[in-house]
Amino acid sequence: MNRRLMLLVVASLLTGLSISPIRGLTQDAKTGVLRLRVRVKIGEATKGFARKRFFLLPGTLEQNRSLLEGTQQRPIVTRDCYYTKLGASKALIDWLKQGDCESVYCREISNEDVDGPSSVPEFVNALNAGEKEYGSRETARKWLTTNVPENLRDGFYKSRQVELQGIIKQVETNSGSKVISVMTDRNGTAYFTDLVPGNYVVSTLLPAQIESTSVVWNCEVQVKAGDLATEKPYLLSNRKDRNVKCMAVEKPLPACEK
Amino acid sequence: MKCRPFTVALLIGVTALSLFGQPTVIGQRRQSARPPVRSEVDYSKFSHATKKHQAACNSCHKVPTEDWQKVKTYPDITDYPDHAACVSCHRAQFFRSARPPICAVCHTKISPRDDVRFPFRNPAGQLQFSTVFPHDKHQDVIARRQPQSTLEAGFAFRRAVFLGSIDDKPPVYNNCSICHSQQVTAPTAPTGGWIDGFVPDTSSFKSAPSAHDSCFNCHWKSQQPVAMNCAGCHTLAPKPYSAKGSPLRISLKFNHEGGGQKKNHVAECTTCHINITKAASLRGLKPDVPITSCTECHNKEGLRQDVSRELLAIDKNATFVCVYCHTSNVGKQDPPASHYLIAERPPIKRKDIK
Repeated sequence: MNRRLMLLVVASLLTGLSISPIRGLTQDAKTGVLRLRVRVKIGEATKGFARKRFFLLPGTLEQNRSLLEGTQQRPIVTRDCYYTKLGASKALIDWLKQGDCESVYCREISNEDVDGPSSVPEFVNALNAGEKEYGSRETARKWLTTNVPENLRDGFYKSRQVELQGIIKQVETNSGSKVISVMTDRNGTAYFTDLVPGNYVVSTLLPAQIESTSVVWNCEVQVKAGDLATEKPYLLSNRKDRNVKCMAVEKPLPACEK
Repeated sequence: MKCRPFTVALLIGVTALSLFGQPTVIGQRRQSARPPVRSEVDYSKFSHATKKHQAACNSCHKVPTEDWQKVKTYPDITDYPDHAACVSCHRAQFFRSARPPICAVCHTKISPRDDVRFPFRNPAGQLQFSTVFPHDKHQDVIARRQPQSTLEAGFAFRRAVFLGSIDDKPPVYNNCSICHSQQVTAPTAPTGGWIDGFVPDTSSFKSAPSAHDSCFNCHWKSQQPVAMNCAGCHTLAPKPYSAKGSPLRISLKFNHEGGGQKKNHVAECTTCHINITKAASLRGLKPDVPITSCTECHNKEGLRQDVSRELLAIDKNATFVCVYCHTSNVGKQDPPASHYLIAERPPIKRKDIK
């Protein structure tokens, strides 16, 4: 066997990796999978908590306690408060709220949003500027976000990202391991794959918003080698139920600062 | 007679001087006027890998090209840089002869009276840059509103494909499909042809963005990386490469529009591509689908046993080729451990089957 191949095999054995060319499709027997299902109850209806990012922190809840407590002490700035403070129109705030959006990128801006009684003034201004710039109303509509002022466009999303990246960096420095994250699908399902067996904390890190409350999940899970998560998923919710493995800490949203 | 050889030699020497002496001097002058003879540089080929070609992109490419409206409906880089971008260093190559090879980089004909250029980018040329695209960041911001029909009255554990379809129409998902829509052209056969003669149809694969409009609609200006910041998305590839005709797929027989009459394969992309939302870069991206995404329908008691059935066939015949999902290049290999786990049995290698 040539020397390089020998080294590769030894390295693979040491790191517990398979040298299969189709790794990723083949779940390694030495790693595990965690299947999340996040369901939230709003009024009488229950639905999947869709399009939310969940983070997997290495270690137990106890090992991450001080950091998680620190994140919960942070003041919460809600989307509505952020945009109200910027002087955004009610129409824009409502438009964002309807799609549970953190930025204007999250929904397609339709003709109704720029023309007619439900138009959003910020979008109309951007459309007019774009039409002058690009020489076409259709291109201006498709490229509308390029003419929305930065803070209104995605300032809220970016401010949350700055906070998140700070927390992630802190966790990674403390644990020496990478923090991975996945986003839930429309049913609130998400998978963490290729996990080294051990204890982890599933967390939203920053509070998410459900109607008029903020919710945070910090759940300790144990990943076992060879577990493909084909059995029942790990269920997170904001309501108690016999299948729910981890409940959210729910708080009323703070009032906006004047 | 004794002197004769000397006389002859002298005569030859004088003749030689008179014949070749002067031209030799002229020859030396000509040599000094010419550029020094260098290694065989093919000036008809342009490479961004050349050190001198790695200045800021906008030192040559203007964003957008002045008359972009003639070619496109949106502002873009639609043409090659002007002559000035090349002449500043390559004056000598420009005026070298009546048909300077350097012109062939952009022009279809080398002639002072013909300025027709290849389309930009030249589709016949190899790609020199790779694209960096963080899927995770984009999924965060393009996440879309959920239709009200997904609201349910109570907890239920059902597959995504059965949700959101109140009537029999296949549900429409608009998240990844902003960039990845139904492919309209037939996939290109790989070198050597399709394995087993199995030709996937257009609905086997999704398309991927191939032009700037998919990016510039948000990144034209102010949202980094902006159009002027080419390096924000493009990095020089280690060597030029050709675009792949078809993506590589382990289960070539999977069809994105398949899944029986109900088209159960038409689902939200992340239902099966479970690792996409954690991918931070396009490079090294594997849109891998674990077997568990398939077995919910394809290997369930009371439904179908497509995986277990083929594993049993291997038990009976170690050379059996799995054909339900795979072409023979994959189907003749040892099934991975995950397939055996799904079938609730220990993994076994073909060579160990007696």
